[in-house]
Amino acid sequence: MRRRPGIGGLQNAAAARDQYRLLGENVARIRTDLMKEQLTTFRSQLEEFARKHKNDIRKNPAFRSQFHEMCTKVGVDPLASNKGFWAELLGIGDFYYELGVQIVEICLATRPHNGGLINLQELCNMVRQRRKNDRGAVSEDDCLRAISKLKVLGSGFEVISVGKKKLVRSVPTELNKDHNEILELAQAQGFVTVNEVERRLSWTSGRATDALDTLLEEGLAMIDDGHRDGKCRYWFPCVSSISSSVGADM
Amino acid sequence: MQKLGDFKLPHFFNYPPYFTLQPVRDTREKQVQLWKELILDYCRTQKIFVIGLEEEFPLFSNPVIERTLSHEAREAFLSALVSEGRAEWLDKGHRKCLILWHRIQEWADIILNFVKDNGLEDSVMTVEEIRSGTESRGTELSGIDRTILMRALKLLEQKGKLAIFKGTSADDEGVKFSI
Repeated sequence: MRRRPGIGGLQNAAAARDQYRLLGENVARIRTDLMKEQLTTFRSQLEEFARKHKNDIRKNPAFRSQFHEMCTKVGVDPLASNKGFWAELLGIGDFYYELGVQIVEICLATRPHNGGLINLQELCNMVRQRRKNDRGAVSEDDCLRAISKLKVLGSGFEVISVGKKKLVRSVPTELNKDHNEILELAQAQGFVTVNEVERRLSWTSGRATDALDTLLEEGLAMIDDGHRDGKCRYWFPCVSSISSSVGADM
Repeated sequence: MQKLGDFKLPHFFNYPPYFTLQPVRDTREKQVQLWKELILDYCRTQKIFVIGLEEEFPLFSNPVIERTLSHEAREAFLSALVSEGRAEWLDKGHRKCLILWHRIQEWADIILNFVKDNGLEDSVMTVEEIRSGTESRGTELSGIDRTILMRALKLLEQKGKLAIFKGTSADDEGVKFSI
């Protein structure tokens, strides 16, 4: 005959469940405490380090870059939020936010001239001009970091590599491989001609004209038929240094 | 930075494509804007009142980069100034352009201030005296273009601030202020 569950059995089972739960909770609590303790230690160590090297981090761009590298390795992003101890301790968040704002301002001011594509080096120089009080304290690395933070705004700020140079793009233009190759070619003299593009890149004239027309439409190129050889030249304000001070005067 | 006499030229003046009228609308707007500012600035500092499109004008070519503005480009930039009321064509063929770095109304105000500063409220002056008399020496009115001056005086006449009359000598007119 099957034994039906009595009241005693039910009570036993419930008691056992309670015991397990208590035990589980204890284990979990011990674990969390341990982790909390570890985190506190880690944090205080990091804080101590940051405090100790505060001035270096603030003043020395090379050191700042290394500090960021270290933070990335341990999975901490000092720029993730402006609240919390990083900001309070270092003001490092503010530094990059300010830099980001300045970069946006420069990109906007020079956009009519360069079509929204600017040489990183040139951008850096303009940032430095703007921050006269601590000239030289901003490195290209800092600018890159500030730009990467701008991405969260979804405004299409991006750094693209063309040849050896880095260009900062502030308009949502899609540049394909052909465009990049032309920009790379233009870095030598600041301009290209259709012939030159055909010859150097072994393109058909249709392909060259098409790519150049797009760059013209996007405001990244300007034409010049004033040279005495009569050949039309396509100039790229984003790669030639003669433009560097236009916009800085604004 | 390149200079024309004591005038500092902007950087774009050395960038060849700015001497070619740009085909893309946005780019051209920016280009026209820069040229408008340059022309007004230059004329203001050098006291130039009239630009002849077919004549030599320092801004129309840059020997350093060997670029010259085409007639079409010159006309485009000046037309842009005309449409803003900062210039006026002097002939139908658009060959001569009057540059108004001060609008006629502003010139009229300058004349009123000049009259008050010199206590000439009820006096009589000849037009030529306003342009080159001792009172106007060192003021903006010294050497002002006659066309612009007459336009400003006529504006003031309409407002009843003065009366213009023919002088005794046929080549000059007189102005009776009544401010």
